[in-house]
Amino acid sequence: MKIHHFLSLFSTYFLVDGVNIEDRAGQFFSSGHTNNWAVLVCTSRFWFNYRHVANTLSVYRSVKRLGIPDSHIVLMLADDMACNHRNPKPATVFSHKNMELNVYGDDVEVDYRGYEVTVENFLRILTGRLPPSTPRSKRLLSDDRSNILIYLTGHGGNGFLKFQDSEEISNVELADAFEQMWQKRRYNELLFIIDTCQGASMYERFYSPNLMALASSQVGEDSLSHQPDLAIGVHLMDRYTFYLLEFLEDIHPASKTNMNDLFKVCPKSQCVSTPGHRTDLFLRDPGSVLITDFFGSVRKVELTMETINLTDPIEQLESAESGELQKEMHTYADQLPVSEIIHQKPKQKDWHPPDGFILGLWTLILLVFFQTYGVKHLKHIF
Amino acid sequence: MAAPLTLLLLVAVTVRAALFRSSLSELISERVEVVSPLTAWKRVIEGLALLDLGVSPYSGDVFHETPLTIYLFHFLVDYAEVTFMVSVAGSSVVVTYLILFQFRKQKFALEADRYPLDCLELIRSPKEMYYIPLKVAMFYLLNPFTILSCVAKSTCGLNNAIIALFILSTIKGNVLLSAIFLSLATYQSIYPLTLCAPALLYLMQRQYIPVNFRRASFWWFIVQYAFMYLGSLFVIICLSFFLLGSWDYLPSVYGFILSVPDLTPNIGLFWYFFAEMFEHFRLFFLCVFQINVFFYTIPLSIKLKEHPVFLIFMQLAVISIFKSYPTVGDISLYMAFLPVWSHLHRFLRNIFLVSCVLLACSALFPVLWHLWIYAGSANSNFYYAITLLFNVAQILLVSDYFYAFLRREHHLTYGLYLKRKDGSEATLVLK
Repeated sequence: MKIHHFLSLFSTYFLVDGVNIEDRAGQFFSSGHTNNWAVLVCTSRFWFNYRHVANTLSVYRSVKRLGIPDSHIVLMLADDMACNHRNPKPATVFSHKNMELNVYGDDVEVDYRGYEVTVENFLRILTGRLPPSTPRSKRLLSDDRSNILIYLTGHGGNGFLKFQDSEEISNVELADAFEQMWQKRRYNELLFIIDTCQGASMYERFYSPNLMALASSQVGEDSLSHQPDLAIGVHLMDRYTFYLLEFLEDIHPASKTNMNDLFKVCPKSQCVSTPGHRTDLFLRDPGSVLITDFFGSVRKVELTMETINLTDPIEQLESAESGELQKEMHTYADQLPVSEIIHQKPKQKDWHPPDGFILGLWTLILLVFFQTYGVKHLKHIF
Repeated sequence: MAAPLTLLLLVAVTVRAALFRSSLSELISERVEVVSPLTAWKRVIEGLALLDLGVSPYSGDVFHETPLTIYLFHFLVDYAEVTFMVSVAGSSVVVTYLILFQFRKQKFALEADRYPLDCLELIRSPKEMYYIPLKVAMFYLLNPFTILSCVAKSTCGLNNAIIALFILSTIKGNVLLSAIFLSLATYQSIYPLTLCAPALLYLMQRQYIPVNFRRASFWWFIVQYAFMYLGSLFVIICLSFFLLGSWDYLPSVYGFILSVPDLTPNIGLFWYFFAEMFEHFRLFFLCVFQINVFFYTIPLSIKLKEHPVFLIFMQLAVISIFKSYPTVGDISLYMAFLPVWSHLHRFLRNIFLVSCVLLACSALFPVLWHLWIYAGSANSNFYYAITLLFNVAQILLVSDYFYAFLRREHHLTYGLYLKRKDGSEATLVLK
């Protein structure tokens, strides 16, 4: 039996080996990213906004469970619910009623807490412009091969998201921050999820490539909360994130579910609001994007004894419908308008009144003068 | 007359030069009472800069001056302070001389026996009237309003100079020049159009044309004057077209004056009203407010057809109060003429109240502005209340002078000490 076993193994090995190893190397780079980051932000404080902290912590939990380490997660919580005076179950944050799931857990690492969660800090994290004394745990040290998940939750409106009940970030600022990230090559692909009222307005202004966005409600709709817990006394989760968490609980690091399934999370019957998504800036087809490309930190490992020559350009495996989407190669140099800077602006010429005007005006003035004071003065001139 | 006038001019120029050099000039240029969107110097510079950049200066609702002003300031922008001082000095000189000419013309000795005997004290003697031109020049040059307006380099000074030249040419009897200066003044801001009526009345009086609707000479003179006025206006407008090559300036200047889109607070009555107005009624109230300026011409000219100079004064006052963007520069022009009617002082009833209110309001304008805009403890109603009060005081001043003038005329015909039929003293009641 053992020989059969070995023979079958050898045969599969040879069969597998029949395919060129360089071709299979293309599969490694099909998604284009080598590391994953997550920036999870809860922007509201006060005890009655418990659900926003629970939202963020449940996404944190999923992301960590699927493999992204704490060093690659920037968690920003605007208020401390676990140790809030009004929490009847201290050191816990629950996401299901009847206290089924404690998303706070034992190893939560909050990077920005309390009043450190500001619009300025959020934008500085995204763009990387932090003071030199900032510790690594508070930085987004992504590179151009990073897939970043950005999750925002809190109170929002048409075109803005409220931070700490005192300031707001607008959709234009967010779009510009992402463009800065693109120009500084700080992401390969970015998934933006927002769970607020009128959340779709926050991704309306994006204009950088490789952004995919999901929101819990369209412009003009409110995102509603899910269940209150009578023992704790507040609503525990928002509907969209509740169903998102349910969806994510079924994902494991090897699952092949793709983004199209994520878009179906929380339909109108469950969420009351209509979730929206935006994929026009994303270069790959969402059907080929795995959930774990953003929510997990999945490393493809395949053992091989052969040496692979990687100096030739790696052919990416084309998906079934090829030729429809033209994949643009974005090069860095295109983004700096050097040619316009080099050419000097032409020197400004001052405006002069037209000669005809001057002539006409002074002729009239002279005419009136001589009409008033008599033509006899003319003979003094001529 | 020349020596004291020169001294006065020197004093005025010194005061203005001192203020130009001080740090107050920046402060004053920004005060909304002194500059309006039509006359602000900052906007002139902005318009000239836009022109240098190759863009029409009227794009973007910044610049609302006429093209001839562009032409003037294109060459004089570096000498702006001197220009304004010259214009102020020039208008004061002009005003002085026009008063002089007016007085020389008056033949009061001939008229003395027309009046009842006890009215002689009402008629001014040459000795009293000797210093009036100087007083007028002083009122104009040393009026704090004029000084503020000049230091702020508001183009109101230029408008006043043109109006002063118009009045001078009217009084000298030169029909052509009067029509030309009037068209220039109308071209600058539309409201001097109403000064057509007093000019016509004065010129007709001078040429002994009776003001009678049935007379052909009356209509012929009106046709002549209207032809000269409209002709020169047409010529000036076409010339302005040739300056910039476009008709952009018509909506920017005249459309702006008439439709009042800019509701920056000023000392006028338009801004607050139109700020709180519903869009539905805006056109209606715009028409009402603009007609209000032109409306007083016909009744006043009917009443004052023998006294066109007083009519000019009244008309100037009405324009300054009711125009869409008044500034203190407009007020200073008609206030300069107050010494001419100094003989009416004995009949003025409210002069104390008016002067107190005017002084108090002038002092309160910057205070309430500061409270509203900077301190935040007042709101626009406070500023508008002071604006209202200021305008009410001005209207009271003008109507008081009107009453005094009419009363003097009444006394000149019926005697100063009125007696009833049974011989007891009577009092005049204004009905």
